[in-house]
Amino acid sequence: MHYESKVEPIAPPPVARQSLIGQRISKLDAPDKASGRTRYIHDLNLPGQLVGKILRCNRAHARIVAIDTTAARALPGVHAVLTAADIPQRCIGVNKDNPPLKSGKVRSPRDEVAAVAADSEAIALQALALIEVVYEDLPPLFDARAATRPGAPVIQETKPDNVSIAFDYDHGDLAAGEAASDVIVEETFQLHYVTHCCMGVSGIIADFDDNSGNLTLYSNTQVPFLHKREFAEVLELDPSRIRIIQPPIGGGFGSKLDIYPFEPICVYLAQATGRPVKLVFTREEEFLASPTRQPATVRLRSGAKKDGTLTFRDMEVLLDNGAYTSWGATIPFVMMQTASSLYRVPHCRFHSAAVYTNNPTAGSFRGYGNLQATFAIEQQMDRLAEQLGLDPLELRLINAQEAGETTGQGMQFKSCGFKACLETAAGASDFTRKHAANVARRGDADPVKRGIGIASMLHVGGGAKIYPSDGCGTILKLDDFGHVTLLTGASEIGQGSETVLAQLVGEELGVPLSAITVVNNDTEVTPWDVGVHASRTTFIAGNSALGAAQLAKEKILNAAAALTDLDPAALDLTGGWVVRRPNDAQVMTLDKLLRSLHFKEKAELVVTSFYYEPPSVHQDKGFKGDVSAAYAWATQVVEVEVDTETGIVRTLKVTAAHDVGRVLNRLGLEGQIEGGIVMGQGYGTTEELVVEQGRCRNPNFRDYKLVTAPEIPEMELHFIESRDGEGPQGAKGVGEAPAICMAAATANAIYNATGVQIHRLPLTPENVYRALHGQSTPPAMEP
Amino acid sequence: MPLQREIEFTLNGCRTRVAVAVTANALSMLRDQLGLTGTKYGCGEGECGACTILVDGASVNACLLFAVDCDGRQVTTIEGLARDPASKPLRAAFVSAGAVQCGFCTPGLVVQGSHLLARNPHPSEAEIRRGIEGNLCRCTGYRKIIDAIADAAAALD
Amino acid sequence: MAQPDSNEVERYAAPESLDEALDLLADGDATVLAGGTDLMVQAQAGRVRYRGTLLNVRRIAALRGVRVDGDALVLGALTTISDLLDDPQVAAHAPLLAQAADQFASMQIRNAATVGGNVCNASPAGDTLVPMLALDAEVELATRTDGATVSRRLPLEQFLLGPGRTARALHELLVALHVPLGSGDRFTAFDKFGTRPALDISTVSLAICGRRADGGLADVRVAYGAVGPTPLRARATEALLEGRPLDDATIEAAAAAAHAEVSPIDDVRASAWYRRELVRNLTRRMLRHAAAT
Repeated sequence: MHYESKVEPIAPPPVARQSLIGQRISKLDAPDKASGRTRYIHDLNLPGQLVGKILRCNRAHARIVAIDTTAARALPGVHAVLTAADIPQRCIGVNKDNPPLKSGKVRSPRDEVAAVAADSEAIALQALALIEVVYEDLPPLFDARAATRPGAPVIQETKPDNVSIAFDYDHGDLAAGEAASDVIVEETFQLHYVTHCCMGVSGIIADFDDNSGNLTLYSNTQVPFLHKREFAEVLELDPSRIRIIQPPIGGGFGSKLDIYPFEPICVYLAQATGRPVKLVFTREEEFLASPTRQPATVRLRSGAKKDGTLTFRDMEVLLDNGAYTSWGATIPFVMMQTASSLYRVPHCRFHSAAVYTNNPTAGSFRGYGNLQATFAIEQQMDRLAEQLGLDPLELRLINAQEAGETTGQGMQFKSCGFKACLETAAGASDFTRKHAANVARRGDADPVKRGIGIASMLHVGGGAKIYPSDGCGTILKLDDFGHVTLLTGASEIGQGSETVLAQLVGEELGVPLSAITVVNNDTEVTPWDVGVHASRTTFIAGNSALGAAQLAKEKILNAAAALTDLDPAALDLTGGWVVRRPNDAQVMTLDKLLRSLHFKEKAELVVTSFYYEPPSVHQDKGFKGDVSAAYAWATQVVEVEVDTETGIVRTLKVTAAHDVGRVLNRLGLEGQIEGGIVMGQGYGTTEELVVEQGRCRNPNFRDYKLVTAPEIPEMELHFIESRDGEGPQGAKGVGEAPAICMAAATANAIYNATGVQIHRLPLTPENVYRALHGQSTPPAMEP
Repeated sequence: MPLQREIEFTLNGCRTRVAVAVTANALSMLRDQLGLTGTKYGCGEGECGACTILVDGASVNACLLFAVDCDGRQVTTIEGLARDPASKPLRAAFVSAGAVQCGFCTPGLVVQGSHLLARNPHPSEAEIRRGIEGNLCRCTGYRKIIDAIADAAAALD
Repeated sequence: MAQPDSNEVERYAAPESLDEALDLLADGDATVLAGGTDLMVQAQAGRVRYRGTLLNVRRIAALRGVRVDGDALVLGALTTISDLLDDPQVAAHAPLLAQAADQFASMQIRNAATVGGNVCNASPAGDTLVPMLALDAEVELATRTDGATVSRRLPLEQFLLGPGRTARALHELLVALHVPLGSGDRFTAFDKFGTRPALDISTVSLAICGRRADGGLADVRVAYGAVGPTPLRARATEALLEGRPLDDATIEAAAAAAHAEVSPIDDVRASAWYRRELVRNLTRRMLRHAAAT
């Protein structure tokens, strides 16, 4: 008998298709972290490494008369002692006004005047104690309001008027808006200093090779590619000689978006000693020397018509810039977006000035000015509602935008879940009924009052085109075992970006997460990305990864088609198989296909790359333009209990509705929202960096109160899937959103409970008690 | 030269001998002298719990413990727990519940969680919250950490 | 992290016998180490300088244990704060101490911190000190004299002299606390103001004890923490309450007296004004609770 062998099975079994999208996916690096294996920068040590330490001046404003480092240099075990005289006079920071080591004068108590590299931390600290500095005190400036008055001390010689950066924006015709108003409210709000409190303190390791001129930095930067340029400039090095390796980070939240003095200082020490140098902060130093969230005084005036439509918003902001300029001075970019576009605002004017003082410098911090702006706007919405006789929810629904609208600032709301957020959060929390009931109970004998408050937020959800490019690159390679390596420019800062990217690629290529490795931490290897900020990583790095995966898929299916004589359009990838539509019948396993690609005559690898630039635009000189590829909303309803005999505000429950576009990793998303809510709770009710005479008075966790586990509210989360057309699988960014409207909603809840409105943060027991009893906040107190 | 003292103790089940400065804390001994970097420096003042270890079965802050006082005692760090099958359900729960983001607080919480469950195998939500009140986390908002410990308690039943 | 310059420490000892420890203390040049939770922080911050000998007393069995001895609950100096929470004798005879222990720092610190250390640290905000004052606790101090170990007792109120200062002579060791057992129907309550159940350093804490009699309290003790240089007994407030029925007028008068009697300062945690408000409001609340139960 003669049998012909056939390639095609008679009835190939179908591959079960299981989508990863919307699943609860554990973070890829969680097992290592849960067993203590993960090595953060604090855990890394290079052979021959020296310890770097910085001498800070602890003076608010003073001329440096003399620095004597003789005794410090003579100490055994000290390899270098540097002052400004030993290094190039280059400056860092947004205004290039911050020399890493100060010369001439110091402008804030945290200022760096000298640095030491020694064999051990103990010796380095001894050396610091031996450095003698003679200062001549100068008149200090601590009050931002006084900074622009005639005769105010000049902080930075290049800015004799003490104005670091000013912003002006407007759309429409403010006068017309005022004239059309039936009610107008004007209030001033005070937003305070808080700080990031990443659980891992700041640190850097610098390894400089004299011979090659190569610099390797171990850094927790959130913007490695931008930092290559920053370091090159301040160090006068060739940027292509700089390699940045990013160890796993112990928290970011925006704190690592700028280059800070300790970083180039560490490099100077490495250059001076010829040894690797590691410089790590103590927790106290972290409080004293890290950037803060930008404090602000916000004067807000807005109006509405009888029918509830908003007419105008006029916002004036005074920012205490501190002695040097970091990203804090640029938060008006975001504040003006909220002022112009959170709800429908026909006429808007925005003015801000960041002024120099001898106070701490603010940097970028999750939300980037939006918390401050929303605190003012969402409280004033409640005031307007009250004057109009409308329920707080009603007023908001009347003015909430819908998909298809473009704001006065040119932001195009293609996908928009704003109303759904409002209705969902308010409905699920029974807001309207409770709000009215609490008002009715204000006069009750029980000193413990219940309150419920609502606030919404708008933030970019598809990147923000503020740099020349808002793009991200991905390189994808598949090996002959079907393993996928995803090289992305996007850093991971604890938010789970690596897991989401693997998820998107796994979905596209039909491979399980266990078959994917993500490489994201070495500028020598990974393609360019602008950085982790503006809640952009899922959207932009996600689209980049998807683009590379789609190219890889195309290549794979074309190869499979050639091998099997099928039409590539009839093929798909799922469950680790190449399958045939429409029933997902098995054709061949992916790894078998890849091996055949390697080993056939025209051997080739499957390596693809994709650079995704979102279809947003740069704003024009008037700050107008569609700056992001998508926008996101959230509404949070906060329920509190206010003990009027102590001022304690307990946050009982938060009902949050977030427009996320599409739920990708449900577990990761919940974690981001819950973490952001609690961060917002801290901002609103427990945290305060007490700054007096330019100094932080509470540089420790004992007196700087982070929220602890017993204090967290019940959290009920709702996800609105508005399916953004541009977002990867329809998703939008959420990293910052959950922190943004908590303080506003809490203040509104306190008002609901007590009838007392509080215009300043934090809503700590003493501050709330004083407000309830008509007492103003006390002046600076003894330490 | 600071006064040193040689101590001998059981570290993660292994007899260990080391010379320590008499005023040094156990955290620096573990991290800098013994190379066990799983226990973290968060504040050095006993306020954050990142340095939580077990000593004679009880959880303590390594940053407050005098290294010399480890002499003759049983010390367990996250590295020891990671090799202990009994702690696998807890670590697995941290992973599957999404209780890990940046992960810096995680070792301290796994150690504290294991102590909590050893004392109280069926803790209520309130007891778990109180049980980890000495551990700070900046990323997760604690919700999933509480869930993880509850899941582990259920799994250990 | 870097350790403070410990050049001052020339000797380290971890004796197991009380006599040996007292011999080492005799020259008055020793720093006592028990749980270390206060000493480590204070030394690293430079608020305490080590003396010539670092004396670790944690291995002295005689300093351990909780027992009832006649009419008092005796707490060995090495009794940890966790022991206060767990020991059934404390729950039975001095539940106020268990209440305070439950609001003490964190489990990690409770597992290491000792009552002896807490008392000798003499913080104005000391969490165990306030209830011990309200319970008329006494300290027992031991020393070596002429080759013999002798001890003396002192009411806690006389032991606490100021912030961080006690009546302990440098050659003495605190070995135990004696807490008189209450008799009859006793009301005891402790509260520590804070937004958290425990972790806070006290802004204000208070304890009230008294024997229930004739609709009020007799042998009443009212103690406050963090509103004076040491935890204090509010004698004027006690006098107003002594033997009087706990009606609204008495309660209001007592709360007002407490408000006037304390002497808080302004610091980074709270203003003096606010602390006085809390003293008044929390005292009123605690007394109303006593009246209602």
